[in-house]
Amino acid sequence: MIIKHGWKLLGVVILIYTFIVGLLVPLKSGILEVSPQSVQPGRNISFRVLGYNTHYLSGEIRAWLKMDEEYTLASSQILIQNDRELKVIFGIPRFLPTADKVQDFTLLLDNEVDGAHLLPSAVFVTQDSINPAMGRLEWPPERITDLHEKEGITFPFRNILAETIRNTYFHVPMWFAMIFLFLGAVFYSGRYLRSKRSVDDFRAFTMIRVGVLFGIMGLLTGAVWAKNTWGAYWSGDIKQNMTAICLLIYMAYFVLRQAYEDPDQRARIASVYALFAFAAMIPLLFVIPRLTDSLHPGNGGNPALGGEDLDNTMRMVFYPAIIGWFLLGLWMAQLSFRIERLKERLLENED
Amino acid sequence: MQLIREIAFLLHKELTLELRQKYALGGILLYVLATVYVVYISFVKVDPANWNTLFWIIILFASVNAVARSFLQEHSGRQLYYYTLANPIAVLVAKILYNFLLLLLLSVLTLGAYSVVAGYLIRQPVPFLWAVLLGSLGFSIALTFVSAIASKASNASTLMAILSLPLLIPILATVIRLAKASFIPKAGVMIPIKSDLYILAGIDMLLLGAALILFSFLWRD
Repeated sequence: MIIKHGWKLLGVVILIYTFIVGLLVPLKSGILEVSPQSVQPGRNISFRVLGYNTHYLSGEIRAWLKMDEEYTLASSQILIQNDRELKVIFGIPRFLPTADKVQDFTLLLDNEVDGAHLLPSAVFVTQDSINPAMGRLEWPPERITDLHEKEGITFPFRNILAETIRNTYFHVPMWFAMIFLFLGAVFYSGRYLRSKRSVDDFRAFTMIRVGVLFGIMGLLTGAVWAKNTWGAYWSGDIKQNMTAICLLIYMAYFVLRQAYEDPDQRARIASVYALFAFAAMIPLLFVIPRLTDSLHPGNGGNPALGGEDLDNTMRMVFYPAIIGWFLLGLWMAQLSFRIERLKERLLENED
Repeated sequence: MQLIREIAFLLHKELTLELRQKYALGGILLYVLATVYVVYISFVKVDPANWNTLFWIIILFASVNAVARSFLQEHSGRQLYYYTLANPIAVLVAKILYNFLLLLLLSVLTLGAYSVVAGYLIRQPVPFLWAVLLGSLGFSIALTFVSAIASKASNASTLMAILSLPLLIPILATVIRLAKASFIPKAGVMIPIKSDLYILAGIDMLLLGAALILFSFLWRD
């Protein structure tokens, strides 16, 4: 009983956990915007800083402009406008300790409640007269100490993603579930060709059916995400195109099944096609996208889901989410399988 | 050895069959000419990027039409007779080889006709040559196998199109990217084509392997 139905319960529990934790855990504090972005050295400049999920009214705030590990400039004054807005004034020396004409600085903020949060390349300083030696004198080495950590469980804040980072628990695991279901279909198709038992063919058929559903869901969740972050629902990204082709290939499978009257012939030819189609899809899914430029992480040489994209808190939701969606997919496939079996029996009884 | 002899004999049979029914070859030739002319009428002046893409799209549809016949044209009873005479794998390989040759011929014809009406824009023939060779091989393997699948159904030609077009897209996309390198003037930068070549060869091998393994489950009725 427990083994027979436990996995379904497990899938549902994991998905409930995914929804609750994935949607409710707050994001870390972050910096949305800094203006002006481009300044010149040798004067006091007041920056307007917009924070996200920040509590600037509670507690003392410190701010730095960070060039590299060695050179950092502390702010001369911070005016708190409200919980999410600051005016930070930096007195930038006349010379920069670098020979580059344009140098970017990371803005780092720290207070007790929000912890340390930063915006990389927040400010660009353009210097007209370059003198690194003078710059080194005018920038006394400053150490940043006693940074705070935000307390509680949080997800990372990414400037472009913001709250949409939660889609990681829906969009990505649906792909994994789709691939696992298609792999399952490959297994059962192969088994059908050996055993010639129609149940194996039904298993493969229903797994592909649910896999295609997950594929469409993945495409839709991805399109909404892409609209938010890349600016368009469909940007002809290589993975989007390859996925669309994959779905076409598997939709052809359904048409193929319709084309044969004889159930044995249908099962045999559908199994052969499912295996052949999967072989054709291997380069589509795993090779070509990795060699082509793409907006997705994990392409054009970027590491997929590397340390930058996924922190430990996110892993605690992301990995269970994969299992949860996959188990839900299996359950759906099983229900669909039973319906197919019943239909077959109904047909047999009619004869 | 036996297998190779069988393949050679069956290949000979396919060629004889083709030459006897001249209307089939003539039909494909006319199809290519008509399509090329349609493209020419719709575009008049074609720049290199479009030239490349259009060329492969013409090849794609001509190939689907040309190869569709390989398992459809002969009566299923006669095919069963072949399978009793020779190894079914030999039948498949002979058909793949024959279609490969047919697609090479098709490519040459298309290139000739296309160059006459739209201009010959290829600057470096080597990548293009590879694209034609490996592309024709991949098309031939995928289409021959799909034609074997579709031939068992009643509305085989529709099935042929919807099954094969999505399967061919990965080959088509790689081939188009590979062939792009041919349109860069000699003095310009060479585009590295190695990775595309490997992908294309990999796809071909993968499809061939899958086709050879799966065909033994397909031919028995």
